[in-house]
Amino acid sequence: MKWSQFFNTSIGKKLLVGATGLFLCSFVIVHLAGNIQLLYNDGGEAFNVYATFMSHNSLIQFIAWGLKVVILLHAFIALQLTFKNRAARPVKYAINPGNQTSSWFSRQMAIMGSILLVFLIIHLKDFWWRMHYGELPEATYKGETYKDLYLATNEAFKELWVVILYVIGMIGLSFHLIHGFKSAFQTFGLNHVKYNGLINFIGVWVFGIIIPVGFAIIPLVIYFK
Amino acid sequence: MEHYNMNLTLKVWRQKNKDAQGNFETYQVPGISSEMSFLEMFDVLNERLINEGKDPIAFDHDCREGICGMCSMHINGRAHGPWQGTTTCQLHMRAFKDGDTITVEPWRAGSFPVVRDLTVDRGAFDRIIEAGGFVSVNTGNAQDANSILIPKDKADEAFAAAACIGCGACVAACKNSSAMLFVSAKVSQLALLPQGQPEKKTRVLNMLAQMDKEGFGSCTNTGACEAECPKEISLTNIARLNREFIAAGFTYEK
Repeated sequence: MKWSQFFNTSIGKKLLVGATGLFLCSFVIVHLAGNIQLLYNDGGEAFNVYATFMSHNSLIQFIAWGLKVVILLHAFIALQLTFKNRAARPVKYAINPGNQTSSWFSRQMAIMGSILLVFLIIHLKDFWWRMHYGELPEATYKGETYKDLYLATNEAFKELWVVILYVIGMIGLSFHLIHGFKSAFQTFGLNHVKYNGLINFIGVWVFGIIIPVGFAIIPLVIYFK
Repeated sequence: MEHYNMNLTLKVWRQKNKDAQGNFETYQVPGISSEMSFLEMFDVLNERLINEGKDPIAFDHDCREGICGMCSMHINGRAHGPWQGTTTCQLHMRAFKDGDTITVEPWRAGSFPVVRDLTVDRGAFDRIIEAGGFVSVNTGNAQDANSILIPKDKADEAFAAAACIGCGACVAACKNSSAMLFVSAKVSQLALLPQGQPEKKTRVLNMLAQMDKEGFGSCTNTGACEAECPKEISLTNIARLNREFIAAGFTYEK
């Protein structure tokens, strides 16, 4: 089987979705670690210095563009599989088992992923686009001038609908990763009684709860400040 | 358990042939014993339909002891009905109570076309097996049973995978109509044993290619197949199938 054939099989495509998905899992950890600086009570100095570093360091920029390619690849292959999976049952059941045989969120990966994709487009337009190509006020720390992304986030999160949108996005992230993280391991064939507990635990607690809640807290704290 | 009789309303999928438009027909079925099997309840109804000069409901059945895998019925949204680890023929009417309405549908999957009423064509499974679900052995005298040593736990795992009766409940239960649990059981039963090693790589590559060709969906690890499997085939087999496929895909020279 040639590589082109291998990655065109159902398992081959799922391997790509799983691998890109795990890479994106590693990204959300880094992203949260950086963004939590928005909650520092320093007038935005730490966050703005960090944001400027991230948008100017060439290695980070290389990875950041790779990240966007990975997101598109993940979404494209996953949607392709979803449409093929739906087509595999042309006549639907009159009665479905609901949650009797599988968890609700394990069946909603495409819906949650689509919510995340819409969220991401709005999120990138709001902050990434403005940071790189848009107009931002300036802030000066220790004689150096920085783009004040901190101020931009604080203004954005004064709008209730933006806060609601971000919380919905993070609910989508939570459900997507509770199933997605452990599902990727199963796709790689890594199902072992000695490690399944740990993989489940990390999937639920780290990626399903701590990280989405951590992200959601930022707009909520700013809104209610 | 105490015996009781019940009156039931049955909504059954009727379809003349593969290309016909099907629809649900409603039947009142009185006086059903709680000791009957689900298929016996259908026998009672069919006998009545024949006496009334109507077409009996076509459904697959053979052994009626839970090992042939023919009795494919999707009952109230569940493959083989509400009981765990049970085929339709082993489902008994005590699972229901007087006045219940029971909806019975055929397996729904593009790869399992409806032949008539509740009967579907599971030939796709046969073609997957033909693609590699076998070991090639020379004819002649059987060799001594102990000449190939197999650890007990591996033999047990292989046996558990080999318990798959190819009924198609995994496909019927999966939201993607994926056949991964079936294929994984058929790959695992041989991959776990020394006899399966010579054809290990071609087997998994060919069986998976055939599975895709038949139009089954892909696995999203929801676990519905494992929950519905009458032989309780484990999801660990799907992980093994993935491992076998990755190993073969990355190393097989052709």
